[in-house]
Amino acid sequence: MTLQKPGDLLGAIGGVPMPPNEVVVEAAGVEKWFGRLHVLKGVSMTVKRQEVVVVIGASGSGKTTFIRCMNHLEKIQGGRIFVNGHLIGYREVGGKLVEDREKNIAKQRQEIGMVFQRFNLFPHMTALQNITEAPLLVRKTPQAEAVEMGRALLARVGLSSKENVYPNQLSGGQQQRVAIARALAMKPALMLFDEPTSALDPEMIGEVLEVIKELAREGMTMIVVSHEMGFAREVADRVVMMDDGQIIEEGTPEHFFTSPTHERTKSFLSKIL
Amino acid sequence: MPVGIAVIAVLVAGCSSNASSTVHLNWNYFFDSVFHPDSQIQNGLWLTVSIAITSQLIGVTLGTFAALAKMAKFRPFRIIANVYIWLFRGTPLVVQIVLFYFGLSVAHIYGWPTINFFGIHIDGAIQAGVFALGVNEGAYFAEIVRAGILAIDPGQMEAAKSLGMTYGQGMRRIVLPQAARVIVPPLGNEFNNMLKTTSLLVLISVPELYTVFNRKQGNYFAPFEFYLAAAVWFLLLTTIWSVIQAWIERKLAKGTAGSANAGPGLMDRLFGRTPAVGEDVPVISGGR
Repeated sequence: MTLQKPGDLLGAIGGVPMPPNEVVVEAAGVEKWFGRLHVLKGVSMTVKRQEVVVVIGASGSGKTTFIRCMNHLEKIQGGRIFVNGHLIGYREVGGKLVEDREKNIAKQRQEIGMVFQRFNLFPHMTALQNITEAPLLVRKTPQAEAVEMGRALLARVGLSSKENVYPNQLSGGQQQRVAIARALAMKPALMLFDEPTSALDPEMIGEVLEVIKELAREGMTMIVVSHEMGFAREVADRVVMMDDGQIIEEGTPEHFFTSPTHERTKSFLSKIL
Repeated sequence: MPVGIAVIAVLVAGCSSNASSTVHLNWNYFFDSVFHPDSQIQNGLWLTVSIAITSQLIGVTLGTFAALAKMAKFRPFRIIANVYIWLFRGTPLVVQIVLFYFGLSVAHIYGWPTINFFGIHIDGAIQAGVFALGVNEGAYFAEIVRAGILAIDPGQMEAAKSLGMTYGQGMRRIVLPQAARVIVPPLGNEFNNMLKTTSLLVLISVPELYTVFNRKQGNYFAPFEFYLAAAVWFLLLTTIWSVIQAWIERKLAKGTAGSANAGPGLMDRLFGRTPAVGEDVPVISGGR
């Protein structure tokens, strides 16, 4: 393991703003169509503050699409998603959803960190610049403060020495750790992870999961799409199984290990465990 | 290049074998034009370079806006961009040049008066020429910019948006800087073309390099010597540009997986070694 003891990750960003309400995510009856393909069929989910939810399911089950709806990277055709009490991506006009103005959507996204399967680091910027770009540009954080925070974050994910290195000179695991630091630099109240380890070589999965576990221990509210059941067992408060655009089973990690009820869940788990 | 040398060799050999005939080449015209250019040639050179740079800048600016407009959500922007590109790629540049200069002034739409730009008087024909070249270039460049933007992994814009950036911020800070790397090699080709295309302004008597030599060959009735000298000067300009282009591409390559291979070197560029398939392709995607 190349990772040093991460220490206090959220300390590096001065702690995250505690949302005033107990519920961070409230999704109700979310409907999503890709053309004629019905990918989300009335999905509902509630995530409380400091809760860690792991979403599992076969590819094509809609799990990635679902979390992408939560920061409006995907439009929805029905239902409502609230994060921190804000209706995400839409305004309600006479009971109908009308897409919100771009500026408002961008503002809502500031509170929602996202980590992608393929990292999506900015290749023309160094590791540190990747982290400081959004605080400088979006939050108008003073340069010195942003750099200090960026360095602290890099230190906590064990990459202090990579400050001036471009992403293509980093391993996959290192890139993903920078990507997590980049998302944290916006001080989000919620972190979304879209299969954060599935593009990684096996020996790099551990170092990334270690950072995510540390975040969980420190009380970050998170939704993680992942097939890493060992990880789910360790950190998840709740596991959600999706199939064909619906949530078919939900429970503690123990429940999924010992007594899954749904046939689809059983066959899915038998394949990945 | 070797073909060019062969052609010249044949021509030179041809005229020496014709020594008994009345053909007589005055090589002093050629050597004087190349090694002791008079003020007309010097001014022509300066004018060619400044017209090419100004027109290219206009083209890049218009092309970038046209590309963004073509990809805009707002339909009227897309229509305007498409009509612009359609008109200027669909008609000959020669027609555009004479239409803008003679057409507009004779029709009393715009007379192209001389303007005074920081103490430099710029003739109407030069303005019309720069305008035509720039607007025409913009229509072509729009497609290059669009291709450059489309070559960038959509995940880059998604990452920018997920961090709270607007589309405009993500475009300006994240996508366009990466697209620039993809755009620079074709931009180099476009400017190489632009340096030579300025010669079309002979049609509206702009005294650029070609116009100067065209007059000289007529005055002295020595087309071979003067046109050859014109070719040498244009070749010098495009060669200098090749060197600058290679330097820019190396500068821009930092942070890409292809850093060590930032396009063909100068010798390859000048003497046309064709890069192997898969070589010198800029790497633009974010993750691996």
